[in-house]
Amino acid sequence: MRTRLYGWAAFPALLLVWSAAAWNLPPYVLPQPWAVAAEAVRWLDSGQLAAHVGASLLREAGGFAVAVLGALALGLAGALSPGFRAFSAPLTGLFMAIPPIAWAPLSMIFFGLGYVAITMVIVVAALFPMAVTVQEGFLAIRNGNLRAARVLGARRWQLIRHVYLPASLPFLTAALRIGFSQAWRALVAAEMLGASQGIGWMVAMGGQIGNATQVLLGVAIIGMTAWITESLVFRRIERRYRHWHLA
Amino acid sequence: MDCGIPTSPSGSRFETFPDDRSGGAAFHVDGVDFAYDGTHPMFRSLALSARPGEFVALLGPSGCGKTTLLNLLSGFLPPDSGRITIDGETVTPEMPALGYVFQSPQLFPWLDVLDNVRFGLRMAGRLPEAEQRDKALAALALVGLDAAAGKFPHQLSGGMQQRVALARALVLEPRLLLMDEPFAALDAITRATLNEELLRLCGRLGQTVLFITHDVEEAVFLADRVVLLDIAPAGIHSELTIDLPRPRRLRETRRLERFTALTDTLLERISAIVAAA
Ligand SMILES: Nc1ncnc2c1ncn2[C@@H]1O[C@H](COP(=O)(O)OP(=O)(O)OP(=O)(O)O)[C@@H](O)[C@H]1O
Ligand SMILES: [Mg+2]
Repeated sequence: MRTRLYGWAAFPALLLVWSAAAWNLPPYVLPQPWAVAAEAVRWLDSGQLAAHVGASLLREAGGFAVAVLGALALGLAGALSPGFRAFSAPLTGLFMAIPPIAWAPLSMIFFGLGYVAITMVIVVAALFPMAVTVQEGFLAIRNGNLRAARVLGARRWQLIRHVYLPASLPFLTAALRIGFSQAWRALVAAEMLGASQGIGWMVAMGGQIGNATQVLLGVAIIGMTAWITESLVFRRIERRYRHWHLA
Repeated sequence: MDCGIPTSPSGSRFETFPDDRSGGAAFHVDGVDFAYDGTHPMFRSLALSARPGEFVALLGPSGCGKTTLLNLLSGFLPPDSGRITIDGETVTPEMPALGYVFQSPQLFPWLDVLDNVRFGLRMAGRLPEAEQRDKALAALALVGLDAAAGKFPHQLSGGMQQRVALARALVLEPRLLLMDEPFAALDAITRATLNEELLRLCGRLGQTVLFITHDVEEAVFLADRVVLLDIAPAGIHSELTIDLPRPRRLRETRRLERFTALTDTLLERISAIVAAA
């Protein structure tokens, strides 16, 4: 119980340190937390905040969805065909080694400024880590439980329904979490480079006009969105399967 | 090598059998060649068979192909040539006559114990759900785990998991039960208990069993016949009929002079195999 209290104390502690630091600095360098909160209210009232967050989430959703489909296809193909696995491994390794944001300029030359260019960066960022997770997951299923099910009489469709599907839930949710957070990071970076709205744009623009309050508001929203989806959505789903690995 | 103990053969008398072994299937491995990579043969014209209700233990040095043989016998690996039949039918993993208990329990972690045991009945889909549950509970009771029906595999000890795996195979009443060192990972006491339980269950259901082990005493305690595998690709080294009286009880049987003589013979032969390698 006591250890949990430390967890609850983390964010207030961060705010305290922030506030203390802000006392000793001019507000245009580091504004107080409540100044940022007031800024948030202003953006909310004007409908601007919803517009920017909405634009970002729309890109995230599009890129993430494409990446999920691609990763399922690549991961499944890799799991089923050793040849494809051998072929794709070096490419996947290469693409994962390149920071996705490095593709942003090329994507913008190809697709022009706009939705598609940024979404493509997200796809590249999320696709490969997810594909690897999915492939490894499917490979891990193949033996033990599958054989057990076959000797117990399960036929092809029963295997898919009663073994592949339940056995893949833990790593599929893990892949979603990994992909979503990779996509989110890439999205913010890409928006900072070449977008006319979105949270990344909000931060970049705030920096250009020297509005530290706007920058901090953007950063806070970026962090909170990532944190909420990660720990409140994906981790929670994953927790249900945690004990599966122990059996 | 010959210590006055009958070395097996297909035609010897098996007085140790209970009368009713009708629940068992015969298997035949006939002229089987097998190589994993096509060049280094694992088996060359291998022949092995068991009669209905016979308990055969398979002994051999590590890497000699015991698991491979079980995977051939269960149809997971196709032989390069030759035939493997169970009651005359070419074997497939899905055939109802076949039960396989792996070295690790391989329970489905997303199902509770009862549903794990019920899995095969559910796949077959012949019985209404209530009856499937009753049968599964009865199978769990056989291995002494009916109280754990609602638990999940990760909540059980290794020995309990292996017993659930046994129940999961037994509930389908397989007429041939393949077991690959099923108790190897367990401590000596659990293992001894499970050995006795296994004999009790097989005595009741009368199935044919092929049981892999590294443990000579375990083999002698359980089996009607012990088959020794040689280093690949030599195949079968020799066989030994275990003419110990049944029912066997751990403490009593192990104290028999005959038990010691049989284990000694097997140990000598294994040393010979290893020394020749
Ligand atoms: N899938 C495989 N592909 C290639 N070679 C294999 C494969 N599985 C096993 N082997 C080889 O075949 C030989 C026999 O393996 P097997 O698992 O049948 O031995 P085993 O008698 O069961 O050994 P142990 O007592 O250690 O379990 C070993 O040399 C092993 O390296
Ligand atoms: Mg083995």
